[in-house]
Amino acid sequence: MKGLAPLFLGLFGTFAFSWIGLTVIPNIQIGGLNPQSDEEGSDTYPTPKSGMAERGRRVYAANGCVYCHSQQLRPDYAAADLDRVRDAGPSPRPKWGERRSAPRDYLFDRPVLLGHERMGPDLANLGKAAQAEEAAAPAAGSPTAAQSPPANAAAQKPAPVAASPAPTNPPAQASPASAQVAAANPPPSPSASPNPNGIPPAYSAAWHYRHLYSPRSTSRDNVDSTMPAYKFLFDKHPIGGERSADALQLTGRDAPPAGYEIVPTYDAKCLVAYLMSLDQSHPLKEVRGIAAAPAAAAPAGSPPAPAPPKK
Amino acid sequence: MTPAADIPLKEPTISAAASDAEQLERARIDASTRVPVLMFYASAMVWLLIGTLLAGFVSFTIHSPDWFSDASFLTWGRVRPVCINILVYGWGSMAAMGTAVWLMARLCRTTLRHPLLIVTGAWFWNVGVLIGVTAILLGYSTGYQWLEFPPYAALVLLVAYALIMSWAVLMFRFRRGDQIYITQWYLLGAFLWFPWLYAAAQAMLFVVPVQGVMQAAVGWWYENNLLFLWFGAIGLGTAYYMIPKVIGRPVYSYHLATIGFWTYALFSSWTGMQRGVDGPFPAWMITASIAATILTIIPVATVGLNHHMTMQGYFPVMRYSPTLRFTVFGAMSYTVFSVVGILISLRSTARYLHFTEAIVGYSHMGLYAFFTMIMFGSMYYIIPRLVGREWRYATLIKLHFWASAYGIGLMSLMLLTGGFVQGASQNDLSLSFIESTASVLPYLRGVTLAMVLLTVSHFIFAFHFGLMLFGLGRTSTVPTFLNPIEAEGSEPQL
Repeated sequence: MKGLAPLFLGLFGTFAFSWIGLTVIPNIQIGGLNPQSDEEGSDTYPTPKSGMAERGRRVYAANGCVYCHSQQLRPDYAAADLDRVRDAGPSPRPKWGERRSAPRDYLFDRPVLLGHERMGPDLANLGKAAQAEEAAAPAAGSPTAAQSPPANAAAQKPAPVAASPAPTNPPAQASPASAQVAAANPPPSPSASPNPNGIPPAYSAAWHYRHLYSPRSTSRDNVDSTMPAYKFLFDKHPIGGERSADALQLTGRDAPPAGYEIVPTYDAKCLVAYLMSLDQSHPLKEVRGIAAAPAAAAPAGSPPAPAPPKK
Repeated sequence: MTPAADIPLKEPTISAAASDAEQLERARIDASTRVPVLMFYASAMVWLLIGTLLAGFVSFTIHSPDWFSDASFLTWGRVRPVCINILVYGWGSMAAMGTAVWLMARLCRTTLRHPLLIVTGAWFWNVGVLIGVTAILLGYSTGYQWLEFPPYAALVLLVAYALIMSWAVLMFRFRRGDQIYITQWYLLGAFLWFPWLYAAAQAMLFVVPVQGVMQAAVGWWYENNLLFLWFGAIGLGTAYYMIPKVIGRPVYSYHLATIGFWTYALFSSWTGMQRGVDGPFPAWMITASIAATILTIIPVATVGLNHHMTMQGYFPVMRYSPTLRFTVFGAMSYTVFSVVGILISLRSTARYLHFTEAIVGYSHMGLYAFFTMIMFGSMYYIIPRLVGREWRYATLIKLHFWASAYGIGLMSLMLLTGGFVQGASQNDLSLSFIESTASVLPYLRGVTLAMVLLTVSHFIFAFHFGLMLFGLGRTSTVPTFLNPIEAEGSEPQL
C-alpha cells in the first residue's frame, strides 16, 4: 500500500464509524430518557436513591460484587430468568422478577452495574424480595425501614403470594390478611421454616448483614456458595453495658467471643441499604409484563391489575 | 516429523541481497531501540509475574471464599480486577508497545530518535498502572470492567501513552522507501485507535457521563475494541512480520492481506454489544454487534489463509524456531478464538452461555492463546538482537511453550465446557440456583490446575529473560534452536 493519506483516512473512518454507531447514536436514542409518570404526574418511576443507598452502590462497585451478580433480567422468550425463584425465603419463594429489564430502569444509576456473569443470583429485584418481611417486621438496625413508605405493601398486589411469610413466623400473626393467603398456599418447604440458628427472615436487612458476614451460614442449602465473606465490613466491639441494637445474632463458629459483639460498619449499612433498594417491579409502559399471570392465581377480592399507591 | 535434511531451510531472499552496509544499518536501528524496548519488556515481565501470582490467588480463593475475609484488599472482589488490570495494562500493553516500537523502527528503516523520552513514557505508564492498582485495592474501583482504574490513573496512562507513541509515529516521518508494509497498517491503526478508544471511554464515563445503561454499552464497546483493535491489531501485525521473516519467504498475497485488514478494522470494531444480549438495550444495537461478529469470519478466513499459504511447506521449521512456534500457535489461536466468538454470540447459544464462565474463557483465549503467545514469539526474536546474546537453554524455551500451550488449552476447555454446564443448569428450573454454581466448580478446579501450568511457564520465561538481561546469554552467531539441526547451511533469521 502506498501513501499515508488513504491509510490514515481509512483507519480514522472505520473507527469513527464504530464510535458513532455504537455509542453516539444509541446515546441520542436512549441517553436522554425521563422517568415515567402517570397522568396526574405522580407515581414517578424511577426515582433517585437515597444518599445511603448511593454510597452503598460505591461499596458494591469497589468490592467487585458486579463480577458475580447481574442486575438485569432477560425476557421470557430468551431465557428462564423470569421463571426462576430465589433459593431462600418462604414458600413460594420470591421470583427473580415479573418483567424484563428496560433502559428506563437504570436512569439514575451511576455506575450502572448490569453485570455479565452469574456465579451468584441476579439482584435486579433483591429489595422487592424482602418487602414482605420488611413491612411486617422492620429488622433491627434496618436502614431502609424509615425509607420504605408503608404504601409499598399495596404496590405488591400483582403477586400477593410473595407477601406470605411462613405461618410459623411471628410476624405472620400480626397480619391477618397474609395469614389467610398463607393458608391458601401449600405448606412451606422445611428449609423455609425459621432456622433454629436464629436466621432472620430471608432478604431482610438483618439477613443481609448475616449473609455478608458469613455467606454460608444462612441456610443449610447454601454451603456450596462461593461468595466471599465480607467480615471487614463489620466491627468487633466489647459490649459496653447494653448490647447494640444492630449487633449480629451469630451462633456457632461465627459467634464472637463472650463479651464481644459484631456490628456493621457504616459502609455495611450503606451496602445493605443499596441492596434493599434494588427493585424493578414497577410496571413500565414500554415493557409487556407478565404480571397478569400470578394475579389470576391470587385469592378473589385482590385487584387483578397493579394498583400504584396514590400520594 | 520430516528428517532434518528435507526441511527447506534456506537463506532468506533479503539477506542474500543484503550487503554488509545493510546488516550494519539494522544493527544500528536495533541499538537505538535497545533501552526503551528492554525497559518495556522488563516492566511487562514484572507485571506478568505479579499478575500470574494474583490470578492463582483469585482462582484459589473461589474454592475457599472464607479466607482473608478480614482484610478488604485481599478479598476476591478486589484482587480479581487488580489481576485483570495488571495483565491488560501492565503485561499486555507494555509487551505490545515494546514489540510495536521495535517493529516500527525496523520497518521504517530508521533509528529511534529520542529513546529517553520513550523510556520516560514507559516509567509514567508503570506509575499509572501502580496508581490504578493501588486505588482498586483501597476500594476506589470505578466498577466498570477493564476500566476500574480511577480517572486520575487513566490520565497518567494517557500522558505516558502520548510520550511513547508520538515518537513511534514520528518515525514515519523519517522512514525510507514508500512501501508501507502490512505490519505497519496494523501498528498505525493500533496507535491511533487506542488513545481515541481510551479517551472516549473515559470521557463518556467520567467527564460527561452518559445516562444509565449507555454506560454499560460504552464499557462493552471499550472492552471489545481494546481486545480487537489494540491487542488484536498488534498481535496480527507482529505475526505478519515474524512468520515471513523467520521462514524467509514473502507474504503469500498482499491482496488477501488488504481485504483481511480492512474487514478486520470495520467488523471487529462493531462487536461488543453481543455481551448485552437480551439486556436492557435497543435490540438493533445487539443485533448489529452479532451481525458484525458473524462477519468477522471474513478477516479470519483471509488472514488465516494468508498465513497458512505463507507457511505452506515450511511448517517443519516450527520444530526449530521458538519464534515461529509461538507465533504460529498464536495465529492459529486467532482463528479458533474468532470462531468461538461467533458461536457464542449467536442468540441460540447465548441463551446458555450468557452470564457464565464461557465468556471469561473467550476473553482468555483472545488475550492469552492469541495475543500473549504472539508476544512471547516476538520477544524470543527481538531480545537476542537487543542484548547481542542468544537464548541459553533450548529446554527452557520448550518447557515454556508446552506449559503455556497446555495451560491455556486446558483453561479454555474448562471455562467453555464449564460455562455450558453452568448455563444449562441456570436455565433448568428444576435445579435451585446454587446448584448451577456448584455445577461449574469442578471445572474451576481444572482452571486452577491450568493456572499452575501457566505460573510454571511464566517463571521459566522470566528466569530465561533475566539471564539475557544480565548478559548471561550464549555468545554465538547461531540462534538457539529448539532442536539441533543437522542440515548444513545457516538460518540467520530464526
